Amino acid sequence: MLPLSIKDDEYKPAKFNLLVKISGWFRSILADKTSRNLFFFLCLNLSFAFVELLYGIWSNSLGLISDSFHMFFDCTALLAGLAASVISRWRSNDSFSYGYVRAEVLAGFVNGLFLIFTAFFIFSEGVERALEPPDVHHDRLLPVSIAGLLVNLVGIFVFQHGGHGHSHGDEGHGHSHSLFNGSAGHGHSHGSHGHSHESKHGHDHGHSHGGHGHSHDDPHCHDDHLHTPGKGSSKQILQGVFLHIVADTLGSVGVIISAILMQKYDLMIADPICSMLISILIGVSVVPLLRESIGILMQRTPPPLDHTLPECYQRVQQLKGVYNLQEPHFWTLCTDVYIGTLKLLVAPDADSRWILSQTHNIFTQVGVRQLYVQIEVAAM
Amino acid sequence: MDEKYSSNVISGGKLGRVDAPNARLTRYIVLLYFTKLLKAFGIFESYDLLKVVHIVQFLFILKMGCAVILVFFQKPFSSGKMIPKRQWIKILKHAVMSCVISLLGFFGLTLCGPLRTLLLFEHSDLVVISLLSVLFTSSGGGPSKTRGAAFFIIAVICLLLFDNDDLMAKMAEHPEGHHDSALTHALYTGIAFLGVADHKGGVVLLVLALCLKVAFNTASRKLSVEIGGTKRLYALSNLVSAVVLLPWVIVLSATTESKVESWSGLILPFAMIIFSVMILDFYVESICMAKLETSRCARYGSIFLFLSGLLLANFWTHPLTDQLRAVSNPVHQSSTEHVLSGGVLVSACFFIMADSILSAPSSKGQKGTLVGYSPEGTPLYNFMGDALQHTSQSLPRFIKDSLKQILEEYDSRQIFYFLCLNLAFTFVELFYGVWTNSLGLISDGFHMLFDCSALVLGLFAALMTRWKATRIYSYGYGRVEILSGFINGLFLMVIAFFVFVESVTRLIDPPNINTDMLTPVSVGGLLVNLVGICAFSHAHSHGASKGSCSGHDHGHGHGSAEHSHGGHGHSHGGHGHSHGHGHSHGSAGGGMNANMRGVYLHVLADTLGSVGVIISTILIKQFGWLIADPICSLFIATLIFLSVIPLLKDACEVLLLRTPPQHEKDLNFALEKIQKIEGVLSYRDPHVWRHSASVIAGTIHLQLMSDVVEQRVIQQVSAVLKDAGVNNLTIQLEKEAYFQHMSGLSTGFHEVLTMTQQMESIKYYKDGTCIM
Repeated sequence: MLPLSIKDDEYKPAKFNLLVKISGWFRSILADKTSRNLFFFLCLNLSFAFVELLYGIWSNSLGLISDSFHMFFDCTALLAGLAASVISRWRSNDSFSYGYVRAEVLAGFVNGLFLIFTAFFIFSEGVERALEPPDVHHDRLLPVSIAGLLVNLVGIFVFQHGGHGHSHGDEGHGHSHSLFNGSAGHGHSHGSHGHSHESKHGHDHGHSHGGHGHSHDDPHCHDDHLHTPGKGSSKQILQGVFLHIVADTLGSVGVIISAILMQKYDLMIADPICSMLISILIGVSVVPLLRESIGILMQRTPPPLDHTLPECYQRVQQLKGVYNLQEPHFWTLCTDVYIGTLKLLVAPDADSRWILSQTHNIFTQVGVRQLYVQIEVAAM
Repeated sequence: MDEKYSSNVISGGKLGRVDAPNARLTRYIVLLYFTKLLKAFGIFESYDLLKVVHIVQFLFILKMGCAVILVFFQKPFSSGKMIPKRQWIKILKHAVMSCVISLLGFFGLTLCGPLRTLLLFEHSDLVVISLLSVLFTSSGGGPSKTRGAAFFIIAVICLLLFDNDDLMAKMAEHPEGHHDSALTHALYTGIAFLGVADHKGGVVLLVLALCLKVAFNTASRKLSVEIGGTKRLYALSNLVSAVVLLPWVIVLSATTESKVESWSGLILPFAMIIFSVMILDFYVESICMAKLETSRCARYGSIFLFLSGLLLANFWTHPLTDQLRAVSNPVHQSSTEHVLSGGVLVSACFFIMADSILSAPSSKGQKGTLVGYSPEGTPLYNFMGDALQHTSQSLPRFIKDSLKQILEEYDSRQIFYFLCLNLAFTFVELFYGVWTNSLGLISDGFHMLFDCSALVLGLFAALMTRWKATRIYSYGYGRVEILSGFINGLFLMVIAFFVFVESVTRLIDPPNINTDMLTPVSVGGLLVNLVGICAFSHAHSHGASKGSCSGHDHGHGHGSAEHSHGGHGHSHGGHGHSHGHGHSHGSAGGGMNANMRGVYLHVLADTLGSVGVIISTILIKQFGWLIADPICSLFIATLIFLSVIPLLKDACEVLLLRTPPQHEKDLNFALEKIQKIEGVLSYRDPHVWRHSASVIAGTIHLQLMSDVVEQRVIQQVSAVLKDAGVNNLTIQLEKEAYFQHMSGLSTGFHEVLTMTQQMESIKYYKDGTCIM
């Protein structure tokens, strides 16, 4: 049997050729639905940001310029998602023996962190404004924010129908927001930003996960990865995306309410209160996502296995000839791919091959794809 | 007021917890609540009455009425055994004592109002006894009791110091004058002699009376057993005290003229008070004592009493209730005395907490549950479950422990010191900002808090890294430090981004910065920075780059101070430095973990921000180049970006489970060696990844020839890999037959499933005998 690792050398980039590389990236981006959608959003967002920036410079409006930079910041999240979805499809090599699938988790984590940052900034801004309410011009605020709300509602509706429709809603959303920000000036840009940004986030994250489950389809042979788009994307993440969009919608409702309050009753305090509420909503909705991705990154025992594992240990220990089970480590590589290692102390006369295959059976049934069992013979 | 004489006689003999059905318990609790509400009502009522009726007369009427009713119901003379003369004397003593205590209590009531009296005087014996045992004995019953005692004392102090009542001033003006009797006068002068105001004197008096009451109750417990029951003693004692008070009342009414216009109007209130305060409360309390646990009864009783007291105090002087009561109670004068104040509310909260803590069943008494009797007849207790595990966490001890943990190790100690300094600075800044109402300072304080969050994160990560591995986190928590380094790096990126944006906008439209305030602050910042830089280089020579951080921390504070003035300067400055840091890091090599690197970068970035601010300040001042500020910012933002990238890259590599770069060469070498080990056909899926700074985990599949000794191969391979740095290794050995089997398995998941099902049936067939 030949060592399979030699094969890996083929996948290393032979020469640095920018053109080839970029075209390769394009192809790989366009090959997958998730990354294609992400890419289109990103392009849209970026073009908006540029248009905004140019117009801002041309008309010398500071608000527009700073807003366009906020848009760029939002784009970084999208970019992270896109990069992750591309990177996660790279083959494994000598250095990254598990492949790059974790990039998806990492991207989710980064996006969640960005959301938290944004929420924090919005919150502190809200506090500042609560102390000293600035003068917000709200002439064009209301129509724009209502448009944003409509788009959000469309987003929610589409999202409920299925994973891929919702991308469309998102796109519209980003769009309306950028308009909104531009016209509302600096005062509102924060609140709206925070949330426009958020929806995109949720989106990439969800997608990336879906992508994930798939890329890792094959438990044992790393050398050939299958890239079939799969249905395996976890439900809870989709739910997370949904929550994000809801929070987003509530955010635009908040903006509308504060705009109305400001227009009708001159309640200037409504704006900071709304932005604080929005930031709290963002923060709360991000927490589960962060918790999950931190769990994965910290090699936590997969939560779905929490209850089944002790049972499996029990079964393994009941196998004939097994004395003891030591150092069980189980962790999540990426969504739905669990990896485990354990050591078995067996009797000297036990049939180790049988024990090995039985152990593999037991753990495969609960969903552990890769298992490493080290069998040690007890000294007599 | 001598309720629950023999609480412990009735229910103290219980061994374990009494598990009465829940519904019945609720009934008693509701009953208790209504009683306490009525009692609070009665005390409020009696406060109003005491304004017109002399205190001795009042007490006499109460005792008399109570005695009449009790003699009627309880029949202390006809039922039970005869009482010898010796015991009559004891009862007399008892009665006198109870009179004195009630007098003190009611006098306190006149001094500080019904609500405060309720709060101070109506604690159950259990609470006071455990309070005293905490205060005066060494074995108080654990930290929670100490906490309860502390709450109690804080509450009393709140009442003493922070209870600003309008009445205090009014009363102080006329200390003499409206005192009706020699007794009241003597007490007044006594209190005035001690130099406290009436109100506070009342508080002290009530606390004294409370202690007396408890001592008296405890002492009279024996007597009640001799007499034959609490209720009998209560009835007799009330009767005797009425008799004792009678001559005094006669003398009083003969010498002073009464302020009461018509006694007939007072009959209803008196009846109400006698019923609610003296009789109903007594009976219900003893029933509840018998049915519920003592501690629960005490806790619920006092909490209900306080709550209803608060409720009544809120509505008592309300105009609406005045109208309502005017019908039945003509003697009421409109008054706004002893109203609710913040101090009272706070102390009520504290009293409630203290009572619920202090009346909690003490761990000593009820630790075990009775499980039966030994053959010799001694009771056997079961010390299981929560009695042993549920030790209450003491807050001071927790703080002490975590401080000790923090100070144990170098990393966390350093971070902790910075954090303290930073926080101190931040709070000074915030307070000063709020005080001078400067928005710049306040917002800057918030920025500082944000910075502190990075430090807190680092500290927490440094602590968490040392946690033991659990079942869920089977590799331990070592990854936390990498995550924290990653997060700190991201933080810096975001900050850099915002600085960049801000500076671009300023580049286009340079704002007018007032530089006059900037100079002194930034010069101070520069000085501190220089100190920080010195400390930094010093520490560097030592090898541990951490020492430098402490120097920095100062700088950081200052930098941010400038920040408030110069806008974004703060974050900038950081950058210049962080760049330097990048260098230092390179030289330090892998000695520093990701967490410390993150924190370090952050602190450095903040520190050197001040340099940028100073440079731009000088340029602006000297040459009027307003453009200098944004250019500095741009420069700094770029530097931050560049310096953070290596940290982020490293952290990402670890998180993506990359083979550790430092060990890569060794590992390749080791793999070659493994290939050469006798009997090894090939290896498959060698995964090596760094879990944390100290743990490198690895897994490998080996294919063996069928005739080698497996254990020897495992030993050799693990020795080889251990040399290469892998310290958490799992080796799966496969002989040929197995490999064929597994490669069959891995063709597809459905096939795997069907195959495993088949396997399972085989397995159940095979493992009939179980070896554990």
